[in-house]
Amino acid sequence: MQSNQIKPRPIRNLAGKGRTAVAQARLILLVMVNVAQLWILAATVEAALAHRFSALLPLVVASGICFVVTLTLIFWWRPPSRRFTSSGYLKQ
Amino acid sequence: MNSDLNKAIDKVLDHNRSDEGDVRSATAPHQRDFPYDREEEAQVTRREFCNFLGLTSAALFVGSAGFAGKAAFDSSRTPQFPSSKVEGAETLAPGSSLNFHYPSTKDSAILVRTLDGELHAFGQKCTHLSCPVYFERAHQRFECPCHDGAFDAKTGNVLYGPPPRPLDPIRLEVRANGEVWAIGREAGSSEG
Repeated sequence: MQSNQIKPRPIRNLAGKGRTAVAQARLILLVMVNVAQLWILAATVEAALAHRFSALLPLVVASGICFVVTLTLIFWWRPPSRRFTSSGYLKQ
Repeated sequence: MNSDLNKAIDKVLDHNRSDEGDVRSATAPHQRDFPYDREEEAQVTRREFCNFLGLTSAALFVGSAGFAGKAAFDSSRTPQFPSSKVEGAETLAPGSSLNFHYPSTKDSAILVRTLDGELHAFGQKCTHLSCPVYFERAHQRFECPCHDGAFDAKTGNVLYGPPPRPLDPIRLEVRANGEVWAIGREAGSSEG
């Protein structure tokens, strides 16, 4: 005879909490890099209008570095595949 | 437990509460078999937001590079300026100004006859963020209304405010019958 009892929900891995913190930190870093890039864009516009052409290349390079940092943050650190899904069920 | 689930499904399927009534009714059988929370589904995930920030970063980089590239390209060109008559300049009273276009109809410029009778012309774009400057008769200077910048009416030099360099001067020539012609335009430089 089969029992109709619902199986207790598995306790999620405690490492998940740490992972959330790291993911949150990554998000904050990305936002900060975006803000820096916004400032660089404003500085580029101002330098171009002021005809300070010598400042343009360093500014573009800085923006490029920020973009590389963003790509690194997005692609370098990826959370490993979790054992449990968000609803708590064990992955097959 | 089941009554809670039914209530939740009813809430989701309630046409008066949701603006997606048609979708809800169309997917109702599926919703009953596989209920899930639509509100949570609408939330942006962390990964989606990361990707959005990545795209924003790419756009900002392309914007910076494009703007810098265009500015550098424009500065490397040496455009030819045609001579153009400034209509109405002969009758311009001392201490007043006149707007005209030079070198093209897209480039607005401003001509001023100072109180001592000298004529001076400049591009009308403020060198800060390209707002149009106007001649302030009371103080005999050009002022930018956007960020409170001011320029000297004779030299175009910055008097105060955020503009980083003088206005672009336009070379003038007074020909026969007092006709005033614009014959060239330079980039205002803070050096020298």
